[in-house]
Amino acid sequence: MKLEGTNTLPASVETVWKTINDPDALRSCTPGLKELKATGPDTYQATLQIGIAAVKGTYAGTLSISDKRAPTHYKITLEGTGGAGFMKGEGSVDLEAQGSGTLLKWTGDLQVGGLIAGVGQRMLGGVGKMLIGQFFKCLEERLGGSA
Amino acid sequence: MKPAPFEYHCPRTVDEGTALLAKYGDDAKVLAGGQSLVPLMNMRLARPANLIDINRIESLAYIRDDGRTLRIGALTRQRAAERAPQVAERCPLLRDALRLVGHAQIRNRGTIGGSIAHADPAAELTAILVALDGEVTARGPKGTRVIAARDLFVSYLTTSLDPRELLTEVSFPALPAGAGWSWMEIARRHGDFALAGVGVVLAARGGKIAHARIGLTGVGPTPVRPAEAERLLAGRAPSEDLWKGAAEAVRAAVTPDGDIHASAEYRTHVAGVLTQRALREAWERVREAA
Amino acid sequence: MPLRRITLRVNGATYAGEAEPRKTLADFIREDCGLTGTHLGCEHGVCGACTILMDGQTVRSCLMFAVQAEGAELTTVEGLADGDRLHPIQQAYWDHHALQCGFCTPGFLMTTVEFLNDNPQPTEREIREALAGNLCRCTGYQNIVKAVAAAAHTLAAAPGARREIGTAAPPRAANVMAAPRKTGGPPGASHRPRHSGKTAKRRSGPKR
Repeated sequence: MKLEGTNTLPASVETVWKTINDPDALRSCTPGLKELKATGPDTYQATLQIGIAAVKGTYAGTLSISDKRAPTHYKITLEGTGGAGFMKGEGSVDLEAQGSGTLLKWTGDLQVGGLIAGVGQRMLGGVGKMLIGQFFKCLEERLGGSA
Repeated sequence: MKPAPFEYHCPRTVDEGTALLAKYGDDAKVLAGGQSLVPLMNMRLARPANLIDINRIESLAYIRDDGRTLRIGALTRQRAAERAPQVAERCPLLRDALRLVGHAQIRNRGTIGGSIAHADPAAELTAILVALDGEVTARGPKGTRVIAARDLFVSYLTTSLDPRELLTEVSFPALPAGAGWSWMEIARRHGDFALAGVGVVLAARGGKIAHARIGLTGVGPTPVRPAEAERLLAGRAPSEDLWKGAAEAVRAAVTPDGDIHASAEYRTHVAGVLTQRALREAWERVREAA
Repeated sequence: MPLRRITLRVNGATYAGEAEPRKTLADFIREDCGLTGTHLGCEHGVCGACTILMDGQTVRSCLMFAVQAEGAELTTVEGLADGDRLHPIQQAYWDHHALQCGFCTPGFLMTTVEFLNDNPQPTEREIREALAGNLCRCTGYQNIVKAVAAAAHTLAAAPGARREIGTAAPPRAANVMAAPRKTGGPPGASHRPRHSGKTAKRRSGPKR
């Protein structure tokens, strides 16, 4: 499913660029991320424990950053497999200076399969958007903005 | 075995139940009707380490009517509420919506409290609670508190209840005397989750609408109360144009997701259509009651 | 998980077994009680193949744990026939070819028992709505609807016919309230299915 959004972040493009490339920021802001271990340049092994309410699943997979055009563009891919199914999210992030802050535009393609996708189909889009929203809200707070 | 292993607890009183929740917190899940939880457990999508079966807490099953409010114990079966004379008299909107909750087999076990606490985005009861400004009572380690409907529903399957809290009572304000009501929903098959659903109450005075209450389900992560549509209707004389205007206001108030069952555009459109029909039917009932 | 002793009342008899609390009622009925008439279809509450009566009300036995049914009077499909005599609802399903593979049938029968208890003179629409919680992949439902309508007539015409199955025990919990009898509205006259007038000869052979 295709998702997209825009966020305004209270920091310069350079600061935002640094943050979204910082594994610490990714580690603390990605919802459900339990472990992020670097396995190469811009590639990480990831363990995600993610879900909503009582429905939680553990996914093991990789997070990688590609197509880097510093300091305004990259592609981030997160994919994982678990007992409840598999997921793959590919996002394109673009940064644009806006006054003293940055306009962050993202577009993404989220694929979820397996049991969780069949059972949770009617909520997947909404939950996906919500989790991505949580990611950006966390980034915003990290950069000194208020919710 | 279908579900993953769990510690099974069967409290007999509310205090025993809350003590267990206080002890196990995040590692526990309350089992009420089980019609939503057990499927998830059978498929191992939910694996609570502790299951707190509250079905033997008989003090939680009741329907009390004080003339202005229906207080329904959390463990009251949906089927019992559907057939209760107090519900038919004080809040027929609830009765009509209950008839469309799943199937009889589901309503024979499913509970009023369970449906509210589970907060499915397409549930009927949550939308009615929000429309009528109802509230719930919850008991936890910090004591008892009352939560208003508008503060209860946070997101998909998520309420503001603490994992250590037990929802004990749901209360619905009675419909005003002479009011009309209507519940309408649309689904592909009878008993399916609603693609969109609307509950409407019209209180009347002097041949005009005194105030309107509207609650929608299936059109977002939580029930929607379209304030603009209600404002549009208040104090006005009923007419087809008025219903149409309210329907447009409802469409502007909802941002549903699309999925394989129905697109966002369809749900938005149909939310308006159902609102129009429900308002028409509600006013018919006002006239019948007069 | 430790096993616990579970005792259930099914079709008027007592069954005891040892099982983990996570064993579903459906599995316990089939494995520990040896009553395999109750079937497993989806095991997540959608298909209705596992439908039984608990204190006279239909429940999805795949969504209950066996421990939860202690103290209740359960009725399964095995409790419908009286020796070799089919229950009128079973007979109607037989007469109207309302089953092919028969897998969904026990669930449909139990749903029909409760439904006709509550609504002895249903319209076709009411029948279709009442059966919506049971799925059938073979028949296309037409003959099931006919069978239920025919069963309604049989039960209405013969007041001595066994109608109240599984309601022997009084309701257990205070919140099980009596259903108001449905009055008014046209009887199924305009929706009466064409009855062939022939009663199928019941074959001898192994009991269902």
